[in-house]
Amino acid sequence: MNSAPISDLPDSASVVIVGAGVSGCAIAREVVKHTPDVVIIEKESDVADGTTKANNAEVHSGIGEKIGTLKAKLNVRGNYLYDEFVEGLGVFLKRQGLMLVITPRTLPPNISGKLPQGIVNLLLTRVVPRLILRNGRKKGIPGQRILTREEVFEMEPHVTRNAVAGVFDPTYGLVSPYKLTIALAENAVQNGARVILNTKVTDVRVEGGKVAGVVTDRGEIKTPLVVNAAGLFADEVADMAGAGGFRIHPRKGASLLFDRDITSDYVHSSVAEFRMFHKALSKGGGAMPTAEGNLQLGPTAIEVDDKYDTSISAEEIEEIFDRFYYLLPEFPRSAIISAFSGIRAPTEEEDFVIGPSEGVHGFVNVAGIQSPGLAAAPAIAEMVMGILHDLGVPREHRADYDPVRKVPPKFSEMSNEQRDALIEKDPRYGRVICRCEHITEGEVVDAIHAIIPATNMDAVKRRTRVGMGRCQGGFCGFRAAQILARELGIPITEVTKDGGESWIFAGETKQFLTEKAER
Amino acid sequence: MKTTRKPDLAVIGAGPAGLGAALAASRAGLKDIILVDRDMELGGILQQCIHDGFGSIVFKEVLTGPQYAQRFIDDVEKANIDVLLNTMVIEMGPGRRITAVNSTDGVVEIEPRSIVLAMGCRERSRHQILIPGYRPAGVITAGAAQRDINIEGIMPGRKLVILGSGDIGLIMARRFTLEGAQVEGVYEIMDHPGGLTRNVVQCLDDFDIPLHLSHTVSFVHGRRRVEGVTVAAVDENLKAIKDSERFVPCDTLCLSVGLIPENELSKHAGVALDSVTAGPVVDERMETSVDGVFACGNVVNVFDLVDYVTKSAEAAGQGAAEYVLQGRKRENPVRVVAGKNVKYVVPQFVSDPSRDVDFYFRVEHPERSVRARVIAGESEVFHKKHKMVRPPEMLQSSAKGAELSAAGPIEEITVEVVPGDE
Repeated sequence: MNSAPISDLPDSASVVIVGAGVSGCAIAREVVKHTPDVVIIEKESDVADGTTKANNAEVHSGIGEKIGTLKAKLNVRGNYLYDEFVEGLGVFLKRQGLMLVITPRTLPPNISGKLPQGIVNLLLTRVVPRLILRNGRKKGIPGQRILTREEVFEMEPHVTRNAVAGVFDPTYGLVSPYKLTIALAENAVQNGARVILNTKVTDVRVEGGKVAGVVTDRGEIKTPLVVNAAGLFADEVADMAGAGGFRIHPRKGASLLFDRDITSDYVHSSVAEFRMFHKALSKGGGAMPTAEGNLQLGPTAIEVDDKYDTSISAEEIEEIFDRFYYLLPEFPRSAIISAFSGIRAPTEEEDFVIGPSEGVHGFVNVAGIQSPGLAAAPAIAEMVMGILHDLGVPREHRADYDPVRKVPPKFSEMSNEQRDALIEKDPRYGRVICRCEHITEGEVVDAIHAIIPATNMDAVKRRTRVGMGRCQGGFCGFRAAQILARELGIPITEVTKDGGESWIFAGETKQFLTEKAER
Repeated sequence: MKTTRKPDLAVIGAGPAGLGAALAASRAGLKDIILVDRDMELGGILQQCIHDGFGSIVFKEVLTGPQYAQRFIDDVEKANIDVLLNTMVIEMGPGRRITAVNSTDGVVEIEPRSIVLAMGCRERSRHQILIPGYRPAGVITAGAAQRDINIEGIMPGRKLVILGSGDIGLIMARRFTLEGAQVEGVYEIMDHPGGLTRNVVQCLDDFDIPLHLSHTVSFVHGRRRVEGVTVAAVDENLKAIKDSERFVPCDTLCLSVGLIPENELSKHAGVALDSVTAGPVVDERMETSVDGVFACGNVVNVFDLVDYVTKSAEAAGQGAAEYVLQGRKRENPVRVVAGKNVKYVVPQFVSDPSRDVDFYFRVEHPERSVRARVIAGESEVFHKKHKMVRPPEMLQSSAKGAELSAAGPIEEITVEVVPGDE
């Protein structure tokens, strides 16, 4: 395994992508189909380590986007491309569908209150579902169908009895945002791309109106083409090149995660209540299964000042419960196992900002990527590739491009015969490190030496699920840290949770006493 | 394909429960016993419990955890029990079929004639109590911290706040202090300590560590590593009172917020669980709802003394031996009911009322000068006076088989705690 391309900063590259989120990595994988000479610069210690990792994993259909927006266009196109997009990556895509539930709250009280009940019922059961379908058709969303009240309950028995009708959108999907991003990055690297982690872009050098290089805290890379996929920091990177003019305002989204054992069958598709003219900064969220089987509720949408504010307050947790109480009145609240939040990166216009800079030749913005950014990723990559071709990246496909990512073995998904064979070859696959999720030492080692290496606990966790189970690392935390230290050749006190100052151990036993005695 | 092993008994877990059960079964005449454990050595959690306080009932002396474990380990080695270490049971299906894995034998299939479940318990984590705030490094559970320090020789923090006053939390407050770390205080959401009184005295009072009752941690600060916590008093609904919030700088939040019996394997095998104890429903020989599958120790309910774990293990081991050697059938088990001020009772059933039975139970709320009693049908078969009873302190009652039988055909046995004069 060669991890040298990760750490060495190259002198030059045909294309430099700033930011290793899902957009940046999807673009990189597109670029390597034409040229291997692409570099991704990421300030964090792993790919997918910013907005991407806290994404709710939904591959939206475009149903929630305004007709005529770039978001709507790329969302519908991205969803259409998804199966082909993940092919060969070893990433699980599930098309679970979305159920929009129509309830008496679907119409705002200032409309429904003024009309006779009969008319309201007619509107809700006949008119509104057709409006949703027509809206979807205009955007090109295939396969939507109207559900009667009975069909709603048949498909989703836990939905409120107040439901009067529904619309089912079968194209809605689920994909792990970080597993997808890791896979995209690894496949790009397999095809020649270089991913430079822990490196911050400090300036973009422009000469004579043209991009000349990207300056980082570790040196400069000469390049004629820069793709700004810096997520929350895309405005700052654009300003460095003088190619800005938009502002990213961080908006927090908090979600709750529930115990797989209790909620795995609670909903079968994503379920959301449809509310017209309802003021909300996101599409309103919903109840969603995850690829792992846990149910998720959320997300919220709260404007924050700090691009790093991933905290979640007691009030936000209550707010999420309150929001879904109407849709799922008997929801098992006590099955909650986690609350987390991520920061979206919208612009003031609330639409994607994708395009070449008019003033700075060779600078391409891919900014304002919030939901449905994950769903749109294949289409974003496609669009950006078109722009890059116009800017000089060859249109010919490389003959030696390999679309298949090498995926390490997964013990928990193997048959006993396969396990036996694997353990015989390498006994580390017989040592179960994570008791809850049955992850072996062999898999942890694979993650640490992967194409995009996992260099801290969270990175190992994202790739293997070590510590994601019931005990939340109580049993396996030390063992995982020990393996990291051994494989990286560092003292265990230097192992971190998520890079930077996120140290796990303060020192050895007796050390504090010795320090005190010496003082 | 490798051959399936078919021993008389497979014991899952080699902590005090599994060791005790394997030994008891061996003494009762079982010849072919496999003892499986996922760790690298026998003894389970006892090996990290280097403090003393173990064995006062079983050995009538005070031992450390490793000392207590060693007495059983020595006997297991002499008893010719087949020990499989570093071996993880990954599946237990119906029909008593066990699939385990280790790095030398690969996948091991076992179809034993009986099983003792002795997987112990796990700690409740931050997620089950849902503390708002950030999710930085430095939020750890007390048991994990105990392992880090006592087994691995590494310190998970330098300046701590401890949330929860369960026994492990109290013991770790002292342990951290002895290691030169600074424990700012122990915060307990309830109005009474979660651990034994002797631990409050010996671990906090003796080291001037303050215990803040009716307090909680309402926010965790720090994006990368814990930088501090907000603590607050709680109201009668256990919600943080905003006005009382106070920031405490620290680099570690250590949680001692309860233990949960580890029953994922049991569930997959179709073993019925008690919703209060979160462990299998058992009878007086610790047999679960599945014939031939027994359970003992903290997998059944969280005991507060290892001595009780050992007693339950002996019952389970003997029960398994009887099951294999005599093919005992269970008929019309009598239900054991948690009566007045009793939260739960183990065992939940009595299959054979002609035998002596030990009942373990906890009260729902603290109460002074009481009598704990066991009522079979109409007659009281046991009673004992207590000056003070508290939820963290497990109570034990015994009923003589002779007296239970004398009560005639009964439908229920009730365990209750009543005022001393009743």
